[in-house]
Amino acid sequence: MSSHAVPRNSRFETWRLFVIYGVIVLILTTLLGRLISMQVFDSQSYIDQAVENYTKEISSPAPRGIIYDRNGFILARNAASYNLVITPAYVPDDDADTQRIYREISTLTGVPVNSGTLEEAKLFAPCVEGPGINQLVALGDSLAPYTPVQIKCNISENVARLVSERSVDWPGVGVEIVPIRDYPTGSLTANLIGFLGPIPASLEQSLRAKGFVPNRDKIGYAGVETSLQEVLAGVNGKRVIQVDVAGQELRNLEPPIAPIPGYNVTLTIDTRLQAVAEASLLQEINFWNRWFYGNSGQQRISSGVVIAMNPKTGEILAMVSYPTYENNRMSRFIPGYYYNQLSQDPRRPLLNNAIQSEYPPGSVFKLSTANGALNEGVVTTSQIIQTPGKLELCEQFTPNEPCIPGQNVRPFVDWIYNIRGVLNPAGFGTLDFLRCIAYSSNVCFYKLGGGYGDEIKQGLGIFRLGEYARALGYGAASGIELPGEADGLIPDPQWKRINQGENWSTGDTYIASVGQGYVLATPLQVLMSGATMANDGKLMQPTIVREVTDSEGKVQTVWFSPTDFTIWVPRTVSDDRGNTTQAWFNLADSTIVKQLPAGSYQISPFTANMKWDITTDPRIAVYNCEGGNCIKTDQKKTESPSVVKSVQAGMRLAVTDPRGTLYAIYSERYPLPIAVAGKTGTAEYCDDVALKANRCQFGSWPTHSWTLSYAPYDNPEIVVLAFEYNGGEGASVAAPVVARVLKAYFELKSIDLAKNGG
Amino acid sequence: MRGLSWRNFDFLLLGAVVLASTFGVMMIRSAIAGNEGLLPLGNRQIYFVLIGLVVIVLLAGIDYRYWLSLHWPIYLIMMIFLLALSGLGQAAFGAQRWFTVGVLFLQPTEFAKIVVILVLARYFEKSQNDPRDLKWLIKSLAWVWGLVIWILLQPNLSNVIVTMVIWAGMVWMNGLQLKHVIIFGAVGALAFGALVALTISGIRLPFLQKYQQDRIVNFILPDPNATYGSKYNVDQALIAIGSGGLFGKGYGYGTQTQFRFLKVRHTDFIFSATAEEFGLAGAIIVIAMEAFIIWRCFRAAQKARDLSGAMIAFGVAMLLFFQGSANIAVNLRLIPVSGLPLPFISYGGSGLMSLMVGIGLVESVTMRHKSMDF
Repeated sequence: MSSHAVPRNSRFETWRLFVIYGVIVLILTTLLGRLISMQVFDSQSYIDQAVENYTKEISSPAPRGIIYDRNGFILARNAASYNLVITPAYVPDDDADTQRIYREISTLTGVPVNSGTLEEAKLFAPCVEGPGINQLVALGDSLAPYTPVQIKCNISENVARLVSERSVDWPGVGVEIVPIRDYPTGSLTANLIGFLGPIPASLEQSLRAKGFVPNRDKIGYAGVETSLQEVLAGVNGKRVIQVDVAGQELRNLEPPIAPIPGYNVTLTIDTRLQAVAEASLLQEINFWNRWFYGNSGQQRISSGVVIAMNPKTGEILAMVSYPTYENNRMSRFIPGYYYNQLSQDPRRPLLNNAIQSEYPPGSVFKLSTANGALNEGVVTTSQIIQTPGKLELCEQFTPNEPCIPGQNVRPFVDWIYNIRGVLNPAGFGTLDFLRCIAYSSNVCFYKLGGGYGDEIKQGLGIFRLGEYARALGYGAASGIELPGEADGLIPDPQWKRINQGENWSTGDTYIASVGQGYVLATPLQVLMSGATMANDGKLMQPTIVREVTDSEGKVQTVWFSPTDFTIWVPRTVSDDRGNTTQAWFNLADSTIVKQLPAGSYQISPFTANMKWDITTDPRIAVYNCEGGNCIKTDQKKTESPSVVKSVQAGMRLAVTDPRGTLYAIYSERYPLPIAVAGKTGTAEYCDDVALKANRCQFGSWPTHSWTLSYAPYDNPEIVVLAFEYNGGEGASVAAPVVARVLKAYFELKSIDLAKNGG
Repeated sequence: MRGLSWRNFDFLLLGAVVLASTFGVMMIRSAIAGNEGLLPLGNRQIYFVLIGLVVIVLLAGIDYRYWLSLHWPIYLIMMIFLLALSGLGQAAFGAQRWFTVGVLFLQPTEFAKIVVILVLARYFEKSQNDPRDLKWLIKSLAWVWGLVIWILLQPNLSNVIVTMVIWAGMVWMNGLQLKHVIIFGAVGALAFGALVALTISGIRLPFLQKYQQDRIVNFILPDPNATYGSKYNVDQALIAIGSGGLFGKGYGYGTQTQFRFLKVRHTDFIFSATAEEFGLAGAIIVIAMEAFIIWRCFRAAQKARDLSGAMIAFGVAMLLFFQGSANIAVNLRLIPVSGLPLPFISYGGSGLMSLMVGIGLVESVTMRHKSMDF
């Protein structure tokens, strides 16, 4: 009742008070309405934002597996690299302090305090020198102030220690330790091991899904680092943590998932033999380059390959491709100028020439012709073949084309016909089958391949030659665990029609019989043909991986599929009924299959995988050759073991017969107490480089040098191949390299024996 | 002096103030928990509250008319204090908004608002029989601007606006003519429009800090390329409020508050901290407490024995209402950031103390109201 008792002040008009009340109610309603809409209706989206604020997902990098050679020597490992970083949020508020710190850092590291503009700094990738400290920090501050900005990468350990000591005086400045790949053997094994690079944009999405962190994690860009990426990479761990506004870690929001370190890989390579092989090749290349051009720096032999393999197991003991590159220069980032220099070099140092380049194999290819001719009964071992210095042969594009001298009759010369200007029309005179191989008589193999009158009524022919070449490993990628392998080329009439627009001629068959013309092979394929012979017709899968172990040293079972470069591990799967079955897990895309892709082979634990045995596996298509025309049948056949023995004998004779192509090298220059067999090759070629240099003159084309040897003859342990681009005569240029590697192999073997025995 | 009865003391008002201040102390403790440097503030606020309660009782005991009679000395002393802090005083004292008295920072601006209320109350009582012409209006404005000009020069735009709102409320209640409302409204709108236009076109105004101008522009025209810092505080406040939901995350468990994503959470954004930890329920309780205090002030204004008493209580009510709703509106991103504290809850000695003085004056008015108790 009291309010009624109070007489209102005459000045206080009620309606004015009500206006005020009205305004108050209106404002309160607005505030409440907004509050309710935010806290009741939109609450979830704000909760999500709050959770996002304090949730941080941290990927813990998995250490990449270490790569060893067969003796446990480290070929690739992880080393620490130190980066000087500044966290923009933690630098002092006082600009004078900040600038003083920057000046001191600048003196220590050489990074300018100011350089360029903020806009320019945006164009630089991390770790690339250019922007000044102020620009880098300002850029980082605007993007993510609590993320450390890399000011100078790869500082020395001393500078890193200095910075750590001063971190009390330098708020926000710190040292970041990042693992980088270190290759102790560097360029010696660069073509095999390869190098790492950043995750490319095209793979970013799929790799991110697998837990990779772009801009931090790297993937293999070449060599084993690429082909065994899935084995080596491991699986990154994950932690979901709660952070405060400063990015300080408070607790785990989810149980942390520890990273699984990548598997370690032991290769079949023997680094010592690899070093010998590289040194021998370089010695030879440098010798001949100096021989022809003195110290002018001009190069005659521009590239070369040496491969050593155990023919019984397929283990590659050494694989050298010259020229090569220094993969340690790519370990932190791939320097653009260096990469450009490598990719523009006409000698193609980034290629592993042993498997990625194709060359005419020349006379080493005669092994295919020899196997075929003897197995098909074209010739017998007792048959004496006339081998004059040159043959006048008819170049027929159709079977009934008449032979007109001066028009389509061409001379096909033996290599002995013209030795440095001295003509030798008699050639080798007469030879039997073994000496055809040992002396590498072209004329003999022209006859075996293409036939010659009544002497060799029915030559082997291009189709059957192809069958035997493929049986020895030519014409298809070997399936070794290295990326980018080439297929080589075994030509046939159909291929010629499609690719050259021309009919197959009789001359094509003649020159294909001696590994010239359209025949192309990778050095590894040539080695495989030798290995097949050495191993009594059994072609082993060439492999570079000896063992895969986990971080605790336990050997893992790993299979490799060369067709699609996938890597598989066995996995036991159980179905709905609880039955367990053996299946295969794909490390690349995590799929599980019951059946491995065709052609897969076990790479760990080590097993010697045989591709095929030509004496027992029917791989050679049977051709019905009557009347000069060969028609393929559905049947397949094997090669007689006696044929293999005969070709082996021919290869041995090359070393033992004083006129054999390898006699001089193994009897005089590098006498070995162990029986060696082998085959040389001097392959004429005419590629872009030779054409440009105007060197493709008829009768004097430039030549590649090839030499293939295995030892011991009766129980081979090693087969070695050397190839030198534009090397010249195989016996004098490539053979010394092979001989030195063989010699070193047996020396190393006795050292190892002594060591293990004592 | 007439018979003074403490029976007329508004215990409900005092109780609400105690409740709100206690709640404030509690929220400040939660808000500063993550920051060691701010830890002493919790206890300091308790001392301010205790001193403030003593001040209320003391002021209630003294007749408010006593202060009105002293309006000239009070007015002049306040002017000297403000002058010392304004541009003119900068040379001598440096650019500060406070004086240091021992460990306390004294912000005269906060007390200036109470002085404006006192001075205006006295003016309207004295002029209550004058015609409500332009001269009456301008004279009232002159009293206000005698102090406000120095606040503007600090520059402290928010408090200028607070003072002007109090003045506007008071002239309105004292019979401001509608035509004057229209004229002043038009002039005000034009001035505001010009301010915005000039700011947008990049012209610096002499009495505004750059950040103040930017805030106005940012609010009216959000910059799509806004940098990290400029909207960060309010964005985080919105997340804090919205994520609180109906009943909040619990005292001490607000992730925005405890992990310091929310900035200036013990002063400007304490409402957000409250809304996060206590949800809509807590926010409504805070608003209800404030509303209750304001309502008791309006009640005192209606019961006052004379116009000056009514005007004092009304002015304090306006001060509390405007400051409180402006603070909450900033937290809710309804108006640009102003830096006005939430009455009785935000940390700040001078702000709390000046409000306690205001409440003390209101109590003084209530205790001397006209009703016959016998």
